[in-house]
Amino acid sequence: MPIVTVNHLNFSYPAGKPVLKDVTLAVEPGESLGIIGANGVGKSTLLKLFVGLEGVEPGALSVCGLPVTKASLPGIRAKCGYVFQDSDSQMFMATVGEDVAFAPKNYGLSADAVTKRVDAALAAVHIEELRDAKNYQLSGGQKKLASIATILSMEPELILMDEPSVALDPKNRRNLIHVLKELSGTLIIASHDLDFIYDTCERTVLMAGGTVIADGETRVLLKDQSLLEANGLELPLSFTVRA
Amino acid sequence: MGKIDSAIREIHQVDSLASRDSLLTGIAALPKLLVTLIYIVCVVSFNKYDLQGVASMIVYPLVLMIVDEIALGQTLRRLRVVLLVVCAVGIANPFFDRQIVFTIGSVAVSGGVVSMITLILKGVFTVLAGFLLVSSTPIEAICGALRQIHVPKIFVTLILLINRYIVVLLQEGHRMSQAYALRAPGQKGIEWHVWGSFIGQMLLRSMDRAQVLYESMTLRGFNGEYTGDTPEKISGSGVGYLILWSVVILALRIFPVFALAGQVFVK
Repeated sequence: MPIVTVNHLNFSYPAGKPVLKDVTLAVEPGESLGIIGANGVGKSTLLKLFVGLEGVEPGALSVCGLPVTKASLPGIRAKCGYVFQDSDSQMFMATVGEDVAFAPKNYGLSADAVTKRVDAALAAVHIEELRDAKNYQLSGGQKKLASIATILSMEPELILMDEPSVALDPKNRRNLIHVLKELSGTLIIASHDLDFIYDTCERTVLMAGGTVIADGETRVLLKDQSLLEANGLELPLSFTVRA
Repeated sequence: MGKIDSAIREIHQVDSLASRDSLLTGIAALPKLLVTLIYIVCVVSFNKYDLQGVASMIVYPLVLMIVDEIALGQTLRRLRVVLLVVCAVGIANPFFDRQIVFTIGSVAVSGGVVSMITLILKGVFTVLAGFLLVSSTPIEAICGALRQIHVPKIFVTLILLINRYIVVLLQEGHRMSQAYALRAPGQKGIEWHVWGSFIGQMLLRSMDRAQVLYESMTLRGFNGEYTGDTPEKISGSGVGYLILWSVVILALRIFPVFALAGQVFVK
């Protein structure tokens, strides 16, 4: 049974143009899916709809075995980890450790269980030494890893990431790719960084004009130069450099 | 802009003060909160002409600053705006209350001057006590202690969120003023005709960021109530701190300590 089912989804902002048009998609548990497309095609909106951040579209979406409705949102959100594009907006506590502990505490875990979750989450992204670091003292790369740790402590079935590679230098970007490859569970990444998607996702969905244009294996889809260029994208930089 | 930047830095510095290792930070939040409340109640309860009594209350902030190695100068600089407001509170008293209450040599001192100084001292001491609490205790721990004394959750959550959003607001202001300054070389500050759109944009952007922060919280199980740490266990040192300071503060409140000390020296 798919962990995410999108069934003829249409969405538009109030008094705005349609953002998503007849999107249909299914994601199996354990898959790593990249959603690519030029700016403004609705990648982030689609991710936000999965967890009800842009309202709910009854009947069109099912996430983690639950239909996305107002009533089911708490259940869905408990199973999904959403990493925002801007880590500064994601992290609001004073220290990394407190931020990572925020979700397990809210879900009523005991103090011991919270500590274990925090330890495991920090270890998963290799930033154990940053537990007591102040959030405002972190570099961009550290903030990104810490923001991932904040959702790993929820032990999510599904991880959603919006443009995770934005503003990362090459070394931090490589490190993030390495960390994401180590993660278990289902991963959905929305990004226009095609090299990043190539390195992290097995399957890719190409969006343009608010709808799904292509869906297939990443290594096949991202080599289709004419398809990418027709939809406002370019071949991944690493391909052109190699060529 | 430098002022916004330094305001953000100062907030972070107070956060850092609260999380360092010191004698005072090692004590649980609840005893410190209770002592602060007792102190504030005692300070404000003095008669407006009881300058001597209020002055004796300096013992508490003075001792804490020495023990916790907090510099008085830096503290006063950080609190300068609040202290200016506090000092302005009693400024009109000398004009309304002109009755002479005592003389120092040939200088007659009116009741208004005494009550003004008393009010100023009360304000300064209470602000100092609050500052000493936040500079020795993380805000989350203070909120945890507030919950322990049954302050409603809604107020506690409000305090926490305001604490977070102030930084968001300042950061947005800082980014915008930097962007402005880089495109307005040679200008001192922001020109008055830009202020309307500047503040409007700053508020809109802050609201947007605050919205994302809130979404981030709700996605991690936040349902309107902050679930803080489990209440800290109060150790022996915490109990000792509470008893010792309660006794000292009440003694300073009840007995004219300065007058008694003066009599000892005069005799």
